[in-house]
Amino acid sequence: MLLSSSAYFIFLIGVFFLYWPMAHFRALGLATILLANYFFYAKWDLFYLFLIPAASTCDFAIGLGLERSKSPGVRRLLVSLSVLLNLGILASFKYMPFLLDNYARLSGTTAPGWHWIFPLGISFYAFQSLTYTIDVYRRDAKATRSYLAYLTSVSFFPTTLAGPITRVATLLPQFEKRDKVLSSVDGGKALFLIALGLTKKLLIADYLADNLVNRVFDFPKLYSGAETLIATYGYALQLYYDFSGYTDIAIGSAMLLGIKLPANFNMPYAAESIADFWRRWHISLSNWLRDYLYFSLPGLRSKWKIFTYLNLVVTMLLGGLWHGASWNFVIWGLLHGVGLAVTRAFQGKTGPAGGWPRYARIFLTVNFICFAWIFFRSTTLDAALTVLNRIASLTVSFENISPGVAVVLLIAVVGHYFPIKWQSWVSDRFVATPFYAQAAALMLLAIALQYVAATGVAPFIYTKF
Amino acid sequence: MRMLPPKTTLVIVTLVAFMKAPDAMPAFKDYKVLDFHAIPGVLDFKERKVSAAPIEDEQLRLHPDKDIASYKVFRLNDPAHALDHFYEALQRTEFRQPGGTTRIVHYGDSPTTADMITGDARMLLQSRFGDGGYGFCLLAKPWAWYDHNGVSLQSTGWTIDPASQTRLKDGLYGLGGVSFSGEAGAHTNIVLRDGSHTRLGVSFLKRPGGGMFQVLAAGKALATIDTKGPVVEPDYSHVDLPPNSRHLEIRVIFGNVRAFGVSFEKTQPGVQYDSLGLNGANISVLSRTFDERHWSDQLRRLQPDLVIINYGTNESGYASFVDQSFGRELTESVRRVRAAAPGASILVMSPMDRGRRETGGEIGTLPTIPRLVTIQQRVAMEMGCGFFNTFLAMGGPGTMGQWYQAEPRLVGGDFIHPMPAGAKIVGSLLYQALFDGYRQFKVRRVHERFANLPPAAPK
Repeated sequence: MLLSSSAYFIFLIGVFFLYWPMAHFRALGLATILLANYFFYAKWDLFYLFLIPAASTCDFAIGLGLERSKSPGVRRLLVSLSVLLNLGILASFKYMPFLLDNYARLSGTTAPGWHWIFPLGISFYAFQSLTYTIDVYRRDAKATRSYLAYLTSVSFFPTTLAGPITRVATLLPQFEKRDKVLSSVDGGKALFLIALGLTKKLLIADYLADNLVNRVFDFPKLYSGAETLIATYGYALQLYYDFSGYTDIAIGSAMLLGIKLPANFNMPYAAESIADFWRRWHISLSNWLRDYLYFSLPGLRSKWKIFTYLNLVVTMLLGGLWHGASWNFVIWGLLHGVGLAVTRAFQGKTGPAGGWPRYARIFLTVNFICFAWIFFRSTTLDAALTVLNRIASLTVSFENISPGVAVVLLIAVVGHYFPIKWQSWVSDRFVATPFYAQAAALMLLAIALQYVAATGVAPFIYTKF
Repeated sequence: MRMLPPKTTLVIVTLVAFMKAPDAMPAFKDYKVLDFHAIPGVLDFKERKVSAAPIEDEQLRLHPDKDIASYKVFRLNDPAHALDHFYEALQRTEFRQPGGTTRIVHYGDSPTTADMITGDARMLLQSRFGDGGYGFCLLAKPWAWYDHNGVSLQSTGWTIDPASQTRLKDGLYGLGGVSFSGEAGAHTNIVLRDGSHTRLGVSFLKRPGGGMFQVLAAGKALATIDTKGPVVEPDYSHVDLPPNSRHLEIRVIFGNVRAFGVSFEKTQPGVQYDSLGLNGANISVLSRTFDERHWSDQLRRLQPDLVIINYGTNESGYASFVDQSFGRELTESVRRVRAAAPGASILVMSPMDRGRRETGGEIGTLPTIPRLVTIQQRVAMEMGCGFFNTFLAMGGPGTMGQWYQAEPRLVGGDFIHPMPAGAKIVGSLLYQALFDGYRQFKVRRVHERFANLPPAAPK
């Protein structure tokens, strides 16, 4: 059940109408959301109905143990158990076929079959779950005693597929809060965000994927260097609109149930450096990598700066590998890691830039990011090199860039740099309109998407990570 | 209602009412955005199917009525036994008779120029009947997309004129539809994966003032060829290759040379399958663009046993051309092939499905495709050719939609070009059809032999 499918919205409306009458009774409200969470997981695979409650119960118990225990040894053991459990789930599902395949190659045997399907969003579940036990271990958060609240918040369905990765410690108080109400302002904002997310996904991301990006990246040799370069920029925009569209729908859905999720994007292609980019792109993952991986690596407080640089590279390398076990992701992670290290090395040596130097920085950063996206998007290293070869051929022709694609690209660029306060202004106008006008606007958008987007429900890119 | 957030609830209820309106008011039926009958489906927990063998699964889906041993076979349409000449050649090849090389030339568009489908069919035929060599290959890549399995080309200095993109006044494009001309220094480095080829052929134009070129193997000159002649005429030169020749070079050493391609041959009996595709090509390349006399000479020299004419995808974007001209152009192309190679069998091969996004999102079939396939079949039958309905063999209307949603994807994002796994399916469908026709031919020949025996003398 993808967040842009009609099935999801039927489900969401159903949860909305069930939840709010129950929300006045804490346990009933929590149980309703928990049921919705597990229903959502079960739609992907019934196996989740065993996996998620079992893993959550272990982490809940570990959290209680960490809270009560004073012994550093026991606490270390408990948190290690949680890390092993969650990364074990991740490794079993995501990396086992890769490991078995490589073992078979090295040993000259046939790889044994591994029939566990990689479940969608399991890494987001694992990351979210780890925020709880590690926070409790670090005494950054208190363990909850409410089993129901824990189960509900750690598996909250809008965040299941692709985040935003939300600290359980941030979610728990919201779920445990009594007498929740949904103001008309929050309700209006939620509906606006969902509509915005759908527009981003169906009108821009899927259109660019269908009519430009997939075509060029499938067969780069059929296209000129200029078209391949445009498709690379197109992919950068597609990825942004796909993922931020998903995030808007997720945040809007959560808001409809009275839960506030953190923002995940902030005009990423206006970044002035790679470090700045990661403060604007997939913010929840960047924060997770920083707080739970980078800060955990050795040598952080060393006077040798080389450790800082090395840790940045290692963090991004692991971040790359998290996206998938392939050389493409290794290179992508390495590029970003080195980019971050270089940024850190020159930090403070260059003053704040205004005017054209600032635009030059943005230009360089965006092009570096797009260069790295080529490895991220291509299915193999060879395919990535073919794309680069086509761009380097410097051949110029635009016959495969249709006027429709050019217009959507233009809308995508303008939309990305659309000032946030202007977006808030539009959102506020929507919220202020009467209910029937809001419904009419949403209906018109649904019709427009049906006819203008002209695309089926394509999976969100980030759900496969 | 007091328990629900009032305004948001009203918005949602009104929105649902709006969505229901088209069901109640037929005037709004074009604005239906939600199928209310699909609501119970939200409660449906279907088991997700992930395939370990997607290509085999796809083939089984295409022909579920067939038993597992033969589900890949989609038969040729050849009531007049137009392919018998080809089958006879194939039989000589199978029996390893001296000079038993079966030559197939396959004219097509972009998948063919990338040696997709043809490369797979070549590999299957050569594994079954023997490897006659890589066959014809263009002298350089006219586009990055050009490929020939097993051959790597690096070239510089050539002026390249493909028949599908430039109109040369003389219409001399050689066998493969591309003319290459280069001054002294222009050269092509060729690397062969298989070093067991014994002979290299070069096709060029002899003409007044023509230059000279050399054929080199591992840096050593094997032959120097003068392209100067009293009149303009196609010419061919064959050079014996030293054993295990993998690194070859064609280099213009003097004047201006105009050439068309090279061919790699083996002395052993086997199948040679020339993949002669042009990016963006349509049927009029054969019927109009090629100079008939020149092209006939090329075909006559090659003496193909089977000529496959495989166009239609690019034409399908122009409905009026399909309806008004395609049949006429195809008829003329067949006539030209038959005039050039009177003994050769001719197979008209339809295009694959071509998808497009329909309003509402699903990927449908371009409406001209079924019409075009029908025209091809009619012309093939009228002109005494065999016909292979690729469109139906791969599953008919909507196949590209299913291929696009397959895991892994079998067609690219343009719903036209197959991914390597998709090309492999079509290549094996073509091979299976040819092989099935060959088996039927052999059975038929046995029956004919018994029928022609004199009746047994009474005891």
